[in-house]
Amino acid sequence: MCATIAGVCSHGGVTMSDREWIREALEGDEEAFAQLVRRHSGGLHRAVARILADDAEAWDVVQMAFLKAWQRLDRYDPRYSFTTWIYRIGTNLAIDLIRSRSSRQRAHKAGTEHRLRLVGAGESAGLRADGHEADGILRQIVEVLTPQQRSAFVLREMEGMETAEVAEVLGCSPTTVRNHIFQARKALREEMRTRYPEYLPASERG
Amino acid sequence: MNCEVFREQLDSYFEESMDEDRRRWFRRHIRECAACRKRALISDPSLIFTVGGEMPVDTEGVEHCVRAVTAQIRQQRMTRRLHGNRRPWLAAAAAIVMVVSVGLIWTSIFGGTEKQPTAVVESAVEQPATTPPALEVDMPGEDVRVYQFANEENEHTAVYFIVNPALEL
Repeated sequence: MCATIAGVCSHGGVTMSDREWIREALEGDEEAFAQLVRRHSGGLHRAVARILADDAEAWDVVQMAFLKAWQRLDRYDPRYSFTTWIYRIGTNLAIDLIRSRSSRQRAHKAGTEHRLRLVGAGESAGLRADGHEADGILRQIVEVLTPQQRSAFVLREMEGMETAEVAEVLGCSPTTVRNHIFQARKALREEMRTRYPEYLPASERG
Repeated sequence: MNCEVFREQLDSYFEESMDEDRRRWFRRHIRECAACRKRALISDPSLIFTVGGEMPVDTEGVEHCVRAVTAQIRQQRMTRRLHGNRRPWLAAAAAIVMVVSVGLIWTSIFGGTEKQPTAVVESAVEQPATTPPALEVDMPGEDVRVYQFANEENEHTAVYFIVNPALEL
């Protein structure tokens, strides 16, 4: 996902930008706001589901995020894209939810079943892994990351956002985003070596 | 930009020292070039999350979300309209309390004869039960009841209380 796209959807054959939908929504047009939800909720859900490692909870967060956005629409700053703004609301809600969970709930979080894959000689399973498999693995090991590391890593490495936009979403500097991702990659690498050695080349497996 | 450059830049990517343009190219290359992808994954298996490919959006979930959000917005608007009709009463009651409070303060500072404070003497005689004050305003379902305690000898003094019925004894 390229978050720098202005956000365009069609309405009766006429292409309307996010800003135009927002303008109409500010006048009380619920259908205009519904278009914004339709346009952005899928991508936001995908990101939040990866951060939370839970699809159902992610939809709850997405709904709450859009309701908050509706209530605060008059405070929306047009200097930022709507994508950045709604992702900021959604990510903050997801981070709050992670923090409110007990550590016991986090340890026993039921994620997608990890499918062990047969690995050919000299080749690691990672070479054939697709998006579904990557998501499945992430759900199993994401708890080793802090909420900020999770958010930064998912938004940039998996959702394809630019570092600067991730910084705006998380309310921190681009340097901090890079640091979060560096630490996240280090933790994930170690966790994969321990729990998913089949994703290492045959020469490196213990 | 080619595979040789990619191999040279691999460490920069992991160390987060790459600029955004180069990083964008790196991500595109790792998805397009099988050989470079293989080399990168061997170096760092966590790149599986970067090369995993974009997951499709849950379109059914999106439509359900749209319906749910729209329904909640309409419900909030309805609730606001219902409560908004009672607001003038609340505002009026609040205004009365403010006016009376100011009047009381004014009276105590500038007006009336000075009275010596009377000592409070505990009476051994059981005080007769007083009748409850007259209810001035009762708005069912609203968290406001306004009572007037009026001193009949002093028509300048009136005290109004706004009470939450849930707290009334």
